[in-house]
Amino acid sequence: MRLKPHASRLRLLAAVAAYALLTLACLWSLHATGDLSLGRQPWRNLQQTVAGFSHPSFLDAWRGEQRREYRSDDGTLLRVEDRQKVERQFLTSLAEATWATFRIATLGSLLAAVAALPLSLLAARNLAAPWPLRWLATGLLNALRSVHTLVFGLVLVGIMGLGPTAGLFAIAAHSLGTYGKLYAESIETLDMFAIDAVRAVGASPAQVFFLAVWPAVLPQIVSSHLYIWEYNIRDATILGMVGAGGLGLLISEAVSLFQWDRLATILLVVVALVALFDSASRRVREASA
Amino acid sequence: MTAPVIMLRNLSLQIGDTVLLDSVDLNVTAGERIGIIGPNGAGKSSLLRLLGGTATGRVTGDISVLDRDLRQRLSRREQRTFHSEVGKVFQSLQLVPRLSTLDNVMIGALARHRSPLSWARLFPVAELDVAQQILRKVGLETFATVRTDCLSGGQRQKVALARLLMQRPRLILADEPTAALDPTAAAEMAALLASCARDAGIVMLTVVHEPALLPLLAERVIGLRQGRIVFDVPTPAVTAPHLAALYQGILHRETPRYAPPYPNLALTSSSDAILKVES
Repeated sequence: MRLKPHASRLRLLAAVAAYALLTLACLWSLHATGDLSLGRQPWRNLQQTVAGFSHPSFLDAWRGEQRREYRSDDGTLLRVEDRQKVERQFLTSLAEATWATFRIATLGSLLAAVAALPLSLLAARNLAAPWPLRWLATGLLNALRSVHTLVFGLVLVGIMGLGPTAGLFAIAAHSLGTYGKLYAESIETLDMFAIDAVRAVGASPAQVFFLAVWPAVLPQIVSSHLYIWEYNIRDATILGMVGAGGLGLLISEAVSLFQWDRLATILLVVVALVALFDSASRRVREASA
Repeated sequence: MTAPVIMLRNLSLQIGDTVLLDSVDLNVTAGERIGIIGPNGAGKSSLLRLLGGTATGRVTGDISVLDRDLRQRLSRREQRTFHSEVGKVFQSLQLVPRLSTLDNVMIGALARHRSPLSWARLFPVAELDVAQQILRKVGLETFATVRTDCLSGGQRQKVALARLLMQRPRLILADEPTAALDPTAAAEMAALLASCARDAGIVMLTVVHEPALLPLLAERVIGLRQGRIVFDVPTPAVTAPHLAALYQGILHRETPRYAPPYPNLALTSSSDAILKVES
């Protein structure tokens, strides 16, 4: 029995082979330049880091020594620190930074969510906007989406100065692209039958939008908004590293001083914040379906 | 006799080389209820779309619907007014799923209330009362606040009917209004549609696939085949040879979806005859 493989099967095989080759090329070039290394003492470093993380600094706010003495090598007393007081101060500033991060993410997301609406109406293929406008809108959305929030942050800090305003606009600029694309996709998957029905009673275009298009896309708009909002809370935590406000400043401080215990506290707060937001947004999403 | 509501003279509709309607002549006067029957592809739906002003293709001949010459291009405003006067019940014209039954019924009144308040689905109380009355008429008064994606197929069809009544059209075009319903619900729906049209004296054209429903829905029946009107007679005068003329040569391609029994017609014997022609 002769077997004749189908052409599409061969094309799939060729694509898989090309992918394997690409992976090998990446690995080989890393190896050739000697960059494929875990460092000199990966195990010791890992152990130190894990040890630091295993004792989050916030515990010291209650259980820390009240008089920790710092001495120089010859035994002279340099200073005495109340660990509880220091860590409580850190927790206060952490709370402030968390609130700042949340503000940046919330306002930036809302700004982008609103600004993306008209752009997505232009970009949606089924609404048939004039093609120069559609291309412009699609191009703008793609360009915004392909530049990272951090890059926008760096640029905007240069323009607006240090602070949360730059962070807010950086978040908005990047997520505008994502919002626009998600909105446009939900408009493109609209069920046109209900829209035609409203049109068929002689409704005006505005009436068609508000009574047929809007109710149909609302759950998807809410869902995308909550998703990107949550994503932006995570994204906003690193914006402080470039001086755009929020938790990032604390993170970069902790990392550059090797204070893994503090980094652990910060990350716990981020995880808690995202988890809290996720459980709240799930309820909103279900209610809006 | 007033001016005809619908007047077609030597009307043809073509898309590319395909002739959908071929030199059709039709006069419909006020208060008439007409059933359109014919095999698939006979041009029934094309005729309804043409009368509703939504057909695409090349039109030749004269067409006048509700005192408008449809061969002339209407302005957008005129088009919307025209649409608001023509009530349509098509399978493809569905309810808005996430809105309540009452909101869907109120969509019928949009053309009368164009203020921005309607964008937020705010309507005069008097109109809401009318909508409630209509819902009572179709038996859905307890479902006013229920979202239409929670309703059954039969209930949805009734909401579509309520929306149509809310629209207060001068002409009703119905394309298989009962296609998705079981026989009992179909008969109920047809009776309701017919009685509403009769009470309001609205002209109604219905594409019917279930011959048993014809006497309910129409006093006059038009048979279409390959884009031509084969017969145009009062409903009681429709006989087996009429149907034979419509479906002859077509049954062999499709299983007979048209169950022959038709209360006032003794069709069983002749349907055998039709099948014999095929074999």
